[in-house]
Amino acid sequence: MILLGLIVAGAGGALLRYEVELHVRRRVGPGFPYGTLLINVSGSFALGVLIGLAEHHGAPSTLVTVIGTGLLGAYTTFSTFAVDSVGLAERGRMGAAAVNVGASIALGLGAAALGLVVGHLL
Amino acid sequence: MVAIAVGGAFGTLARYGVERGLATGAAGFPWATLSVNVLGSFLLGLVVTLVVVRWPDDRWLRPLVGVGFCGGFTTFSTFVLEIDQRARHGHGGIALAYLGASLAAGTVAAFLGALLARGRLATDVTGSVLPDPDLLSGDDTRRGPDATTDTPT
Repeated sequence: MILLGLIVAGAGGALLRYEVELHVRRRVGPGFPYGTLLINVSGSFALGVLIGLAEHHGAPSTLVTVIGTGLLGAYTTFSTFAVDSVGLAERGRMGAAAVNVGASIALGLGAAALGLVVGHLL
Repeated sequence: MVAIAVGGAFGTLARYGVERGLATGAAGFPWATLSVNVLGSFLLGLVVTLVVVRWPDDRWLRPLVGVGFCGGFTTFSTFVLEIDQRARHGHGGIALAYLGASLAAGTVAAFLGALLARGRLATDVTGSVLPDPDLLSGDDTRRGPDATTDTPT
């Protein structure tokens, strides 16, 4: 049952990531991976809320696994973040690469911490 | 779209398997996520470069393996929450080491994947380290002994 949930959630998370990335790229254009940044920060916030809810109010562990590991795990991505950062650096855009790494980590950590607080308060 | 969904589902299941197999607890070093993220970054570096330099007409590899599998396999949200969790519970050293190791190994892995796709690793290894065995054995087994044993009879 949990495997079926993971399959559906993983597929959904990957499709959602594709759609969000495409939309952002159409709006702001190529050049900097704003889409992946938005995806990783929003997914970290959502996982923070979920963990916060589970810690303070209790939630079925199956639900936490399917939504947290499945949906949000597949929605967010580390590989695209790494490949994009290396790609920017390779093309001589060291500043943009550093901003991508710094912003992803700082905003991702901030969003997760904020999400945990929101989850506790809900 | 189907390729992305299928790749994403497989990537998620594979990550779930690794996380269960390498579980280290809330205070331990998150080896599972580190392995998944480094492996996935290597594979994505390989795939995106292969699609550009080798198979520009391919329409399946990138959505299935790149966007779907690698994206579903690797994760940023779990990575960030694991750092936060360790930092909050007095394991700041583990949090920092995990962050540094993920960034360093992930970017190096992505770069190595791209290098491998361009054939640079492959030519360095097969071209210069291992000589062709046929060229070596052909010479001294035939010429040496044959030249001396022919003359007595």
